[in-house]
Amino acid sequence: MNIFLYLDENTWFHRLDSRTKILGVLLLFCMAMVFNHPLYVAGFALGLVWLAAAAKALPNFWRVRYLLFLLVAFSTLLWPFFAKGPTPLWSWGRLQVSRESLLYAIAMGLRLASFVGAGLIFLSITTNEEFTQGLIRLRLPYPIAFAFSTALRLVPTFAGAGATIVQAQISRGLDVESGNIFQRAGKFIPLAVPLFIYAIRHTNMLAMALESKGFNPGAPRTWYYDPQMRRADYLVLALLTALFLGMLSLRLQGYGQVLPRL
Amino acid sequence: MKPLGTMWKNTRMIILVAVCAAIYAAALIAFKTAIPLIPGITEVRVANIFPMVFSLLFGPAAAWGSAIGNLIGDIFGGTLGPGSVFGFIGNFLLGYLPYAMWTTLKPIADGKRELALQNWRSWVLYILLALISSAACAVVIATGLEALGMVPYPILSSIITINDTVGSLIGGLLLLAVYGVVRRQLRLIWWDVMDPEDIGRPRAGTLGAWLVVVGALGGWILGAYLLSGQALVIGIIASIVILVGCFLL
Repeated sequence: MNIFLYLDENTWFHRLDSRTKILGVLLLFCMAMVFNHPLYVAGFALGLVWLAAAAKALPNFWRVRYLLFLLVAFSTLLWPFFAKGPTPLWSWGRLQVSRESLLYAIAMGLRLASFVGAGLIFLSITTNEEFTQGLIRLRLPYPIAFAFSTALRLVPTFAGAGATIVQAQISRGLDVESGNIFQRAGKFIPLAVPLFIYAIRHTNMLAMALESKGFNPGAPRTWYYDPQMRRADYLVLALLTALFLGMLSLRLQGYGQVLPRL
Repeated sequence: MKPLGTMWKNTRMIILVAVCAAIYAAALIAFKTAIPLIPGITEVRVANIFPMVFSLLFGPAAAWGSAIGNLIGDIFGGTLGPGSVFGFIGNFLLGYLPYAMWTTLKPIADGKRELALQNWRSWVLYILLALISSAACAVVIATGLEALGMVPYPILSSIITINDTVGSLIGGLLLLAVYGVVRRQLRLIWWDVMDPEDIGRPRAGTLGAWLVVVGALGGWILGAYLLSGQALVIGIIASIVILVGCFLL
């Protein structure tokens, strides 16, 4: 099973600089938070689907289709009981649902799906290496970025080792499928101990390998790969910023709001 | 808080951050879709047996490792979003508070870093810290997600607190199994790996620890059960108290 979400396509979005992609997805997150009227949020969500189609990221949307559906459904069922509005629709004891809270709930479901959608577009067009490189270029301290990229590389190794350990323990009679939640969580211990020891044994060897090559976390660094921001990157960032400010000004004028909250 | 910054000078601690993050993320990804509680937000987190064990063994590396591991779990799980920022901070606390409060939560703590696993008092402290660090994590994440309009505070704070506490308690078995190996064979316990001058001393450790207790348990119980109508305000105040407490630790 491929655990990576990156889709190797040659689109205009894929060719953007990693800093543009990171800042761009942050702006998309901010935009998703501007309105709380379902029609406005739905408009934004449709815009994201168009972006995903242009970035050839729709296969990843299909991959998490159940999650997206559940997010909208769950939020729509949950929020009406917590957000209060002035126009009552239904009440039972202390539980009340108003027209505004129902609309707000639908909007929040779409907002959650938009968050996931924007994140998916980003992950579909950005490799792990680009992501780390972008964070470094955005002034994240190098040792933190190094730990992050090393962890990203180790995850598939440990996931593979974990799968082998599961098979080995099952062949010795461990039944991981039966029992309630707590019993099943308890059965994770015979799997976790060998995985933990296997992983921690790597630490000393990896540290020695790095130090033998002169690794110094605080030393100034030079780069083989030196990406440059191009005109298209600045254009994308300017466009997204303008769009965000435009949406914000609409909200401040009272558009796209069913309840006076975020 | 000093070791959280000074640890980045030490190659072994940096590798421990990466290893902790990778183990946590691998377990999160493996069980991400197993038993969802709030789809896309949280699930029965079997992986939560790790952060507290990491914390008591690897100290500051566990705090960064848990935070980065949770972020990687979001990336591979396809749930990267603004909520990931609060997930990062909450899981950072889950990995930070147990080791930082192990010596400072007096009079329950005896002030020694060494884990006396044969001593009942150590296990009382372990259980308390499991609950407090889980509640602190829950308060910060639930406040953030309520503010973003993602999930109501009362529901999420209780789910995360219970979920993480149960995970940390089961993690006690893992700690029993691996403590000797990490301490004596691999010699990777955090206060042996770091230079003593890089570890330093807490500013006002006991005061900080009790501020965290008040913020975490008060924020959870008041916001989720007693004053749920004012949950966001309570969550914000509790989060500030927790963060101030952390700075004093």
